[in-house]
Amino acid sequence: MMTGTMTDGESGGAGGRLSEPDVVLRADDLAKTFRLGFFRKRVDAVRGVSFSVKRGEIFGFLGPNGAGKTTTLKMLMGLIFPSRGRAEVLGRAVPDRQAKRRIGYLPETPYFYEYLTPEEFLDFAGALCDLPRAERRRRADALLARVGLDHARGRPLRKFSKGMLQRIGIAQALMGDPEVVVLDEPMTGLDPLGRKDIRDLILELGRSGKTVLFSTHILPDVEMTCDRVAIVAGGRLRSVGTLASLLSPRVLSTEVVLRPGAVAPALPEGARRLPGDDVLAVELPAGADVDGYLRAALDAGAAVLSVTPRRESLEDVFVRQAAGPESGGAPS
Amino acid sequence: MRRIAAVARNTFREAARNKILYSLLFFALGLIISALALGQLSVHEDRRMIRDVGLFGVDLFSVLIAIFVGVNLLYKELALKTVYTILPKPIARWEFVLGKWLGVMATLVAQIVIMGLVLAATLLVEGGTEAVDGALAKALWLLLMNVTIVTSVAMFFSAFSTPFLSGLFALGVFVVGRSVPDVRALAERVGGAGGQVLKAACALLPNLHLFTPSGTALQGQAVSVHGAFVGAGYLGWTTAYAIGYSAVVLACAMLIFRRRDFV
Repeated sequence: MMTGTMTDGESGGAGGRLSEPDVVLRADDLAKTFRLGFFRKRVDAVRGVSFSVKRGEIFGFLGPNGAGKTTTLKMLMGLIFPSRGRAEVLGRAVPDRQAKRRIGYLPETPYFYEYLTPEEFLDFAGALCDLPRAERRRRADALLARVGLDHARGRPLRKFSKGMLQRIGIAQALMGDPEVVVLDEPMTGLDPLGRKDIRDLILELGRSGKTVLFSTHILPDVEMTCDRVAIVAGGRLRSVGTLASLLSPRVLSTEVVLRPGAVAPALPEGARRLPGDDVLAVELPAGADVDGYLRAALDAGAAVLSVTPRRESLEDVFVRQAAGPESGGAPS
Repeated sequence: MRRIAAVARNTFREAARNKILYSLLFFALGLIISALALGQLSVHEDRRMIRDVGLFGVDLFSVLIAIFVGVNLLYKELALKTVYTILPKPIARWEFVLGKWLGVMATLVAQIVIMGLVLAATLLVEGGTEAVDGALAKALWLLLMNVTIVTSVAMFFSAFSTPFLSGLFALGVFVVGRSVPDVRALAERVGGAGGQVLKAACALLPNLHLFTPSGTALQGQAVSVHGAFVGAGYLGWTTAYAIGYSAVVLACAMLIFRRRDFV
């Protein structure tokens, strides 16, 4: 069952599947119902979500808190069994060991064995991926340098900051040199510098040919990194596609900033004045005669400082879709 | 095999860095060494006194450690969410459970070896080389088999319950398991439906009474279990019983773990 905007060939069933070689990860009508509490109250966390992630793309899985993002990702990772539907990784049904060999996963707010050092932890992760000792050591050294934790290799994980834990979490996800990397809320709780580090790392993974799927509710991170996004709310997929296809090119309003002359130009109908000390900032509605207003302002002796058309942003789309019907109530 | 060994090694490492386990070990060692003083108080039975008290210490503390570690084993992985990082890797859930169990068993072997060595040293101090014989090794082996079952039972409860409840259940199984002959006798005396329930409980629960040696030895060839001297045959079948019972309980734990959702 799928609602919302499907813009690039996705669909709720098998009919809209992408060609097999392109698809590395597929959710096909995934649903999960939990029974909670003494009275076994039914909670539909995910209500039939379908999407595909193509080889080599950076895919953002967007949604507000409680939308069902984490539950969906856990079904894809084999941590939660779906009540309905099918999850596939690299053409194999989850949880297939061959598929698990080619996928790396960072859970939401990851917890690691705090008594281990990063070196020991990466060695453990490598052994779980069946890597021989020499290879484990080589990859651990390379990854510690790559995520900037070389200096802390002997320090127990209990002494790591949140940003450092996130980075060691990404390093452990990469120990098996996976083709697909799935990151659940990798930027949550990080300061701006930490977020930039993780963002850069995701972009670097994309450049190195890996497929990245990450969930988040931080929209600027998505805009800066993702090739395609899916928006989920209330356990349902609302839309999926490239950012360009999701955002309308229509101009919603135009913001004009002037240094006024002797006389302030008259405001067109529907326009409103924005706060500003030494300048005159005006928001003109869609369809307003911007050229006419600018001419009138120049005639009145004003200097035009900026003219900014405002189009629909990802935030507008997100808010519209997340606030749609049946958008709340499901735990993530 | 590498994956199972990795989980076992990590579990052992976790135990080796756990201060509570060291505290329990020090208590056990204190008890064993204090048997020297008790030996001085007894008349002509000093070696036996040291051996009995020492084996009691090994028994008590190995069971406490087995329950403490066993009930926390799987629950902690879930509560601390460390399992979320491990299970998406190419490891099967049963391999994870088996690795955890092997790690605990390695911990218990190390603890029993340390306690056994201290007990042997204590006996050496009191009675010279004659006091340390093969019977001590047999008694320690039986205690190891005992905790093999206790660990498996604790881990089974840990697969679906909280550490507190798992600890209570495992302790209950241990107490009843140790008293199986008494419960059987009680079942005969009670008779009727109650007796049948008690008999069923005896059939279902492990007979841990088989593993409680006293320190008596005869020329180093046998260890006394409930007054009867035993040899390699007894050790063989009790070992098979312990491994068989543990395997069944562990398989049940794996089945439960296999179907769990990690929310």
